[in-house]
Amino acid sequence: MALRMGIPSMETGGLDDMVADRFGRAKVFTIVDVDEKTGKILNVEVHENPGYQAGSGAGVKASQKLGDLGVKVYVGPNPGPNAYAALSYLGIKIVTITGVKVKEAVEYALRQLREEQ
Amino acid sequence: MFQVAVTGGKGGTGKSFVATNLAYWLSSKLDRYRLVLADLDVEAPNDHILLGLDELGKREDIDIYFPKIDYSKCTSCGACVKVCDTGAIIMGPGRPPFVFPRLCSGCKACYYACPYKAISPNSKRVLGYTYVTPVKAGPALFTLVTGMIREGEEHTPPAVVAAKRKALSLKPDILIVDTGAGTGNAISAAIQGSDLVIAVTEPTPLGAHDLEAILKVSRGMGYRVWVAINRWGIGPEDEVATLAHRYEAERIYRIPYSRGAVEAYSKGVPVIEYRPNDPAAKALEALSTDVAGLILEKLGGGVQ
Repeated sequence: MALRMGIPSMETGGLDDMVADRFGRAKVFTIVDVDEKTGKILNVEVHENPGYQAGSGAGVKASQKLGDLGVKVYVGPNPGPNAYAALSYLGIKIVTITGVKVKEAVEYALRQLREEQ
Repeated sequence: MFQVAVTGGKGGTGKSFVATNLAYWLSSKLDRYRLVLADLDVEAPNDHILLGLDELGKREDIDIYFPKIDYSKCTSCGACVKVCDTGAIIMGPGRPPFVFPRLCSGCKACYYACPYKAISPNSKRVLGYTYVTPVKAGPALFTLVTGMIREGEEHTPPAVVAAKRKALSLKPDILIVDTGAGTGNAISAAIQGSDLVIAVTEPTPLGAHDLEAILKVSRGMGYRVWVAINRWGIGPEDEVATLAHRYEAERIYRIPYSRGAVEAYSKGVPVIEYRPNDPAAKALEALSTDVAGLILEKLGGGVQ
């Protein structure tokens, strides 16, 4: 089954971009659909983050965007308190990692999720 | 009424130091006028500390609008989420909207946007407090109004507006507003309606940078501006002085960095009272005297 992940990304988004070092004000989101069983990446999209230059509430706006895009797993740096609450409310799982490429983050998140099961 | 705003852009330049000394001097010398000092640095008000007050006076809540959603009427259409500028409302798939209290600025846009009248028009929450404290220090007699937001709150402008309204309700002849650092809405709300803006800065690169920002705001709002260079002597004043001229500040005051000023500050006594002959006290007195001149020009009468 395809699992949809949202990864805040540093510059252009995409599998080779770096994971951003912050969530609410990350430049873009890379959205990755991945096959839970095989780990095969089925689809990659890049979306703008409404929180990037927001006056306030960046974390919540960013979370809402991920929710609207149907993301089930957030993969990225530690979200702030508001974003954390927002992601939880939206039922989005949180896997924290940063300092790696988006592709590596997706692989890491898959491993984490499998270990949990 | 004559309103003078003490502001400056950069934090820690001595806005409250100047404001409390100005209040002390003006209320001593112009004692037939009712003077109110409004501490509108609502995130970290400290005029009461600089005035050596042990505690603040009468407290009142600052209430702001907070949306209360009637979930029996809500259809989860998402209109409130879209219209919320501060990102305070979130909504999950198949779940009703949820409001983060501390992100809400109380603008009420969600109430107007809701097509199902599911959001109440007049529910409130407490954003912070105003305190009204009588101050008596030597010959000085005035009222301190302090605005303070609750810990962790993010939206200062409604608290600034509420505290300023409280100060105005006391019908002062002279209102001194002491603003927080910065140049945002909370600051422009504080200085709005001023007869004079005193921009307090310091002779450092950051002091100059932030001075330019506040001068743009003050001049843009059409106000008369004076510049006070506090801690004068700790660095070259050229950059600050050039900016003051460029933005047509009418006067520049230089408040020397002195031991007396630091001692008075740490003891919570206006330096004008603590050490009247200190060079900093002299500079503040010169500034205050000129402010008094403007006040009398507008309100009439003479200095006693």
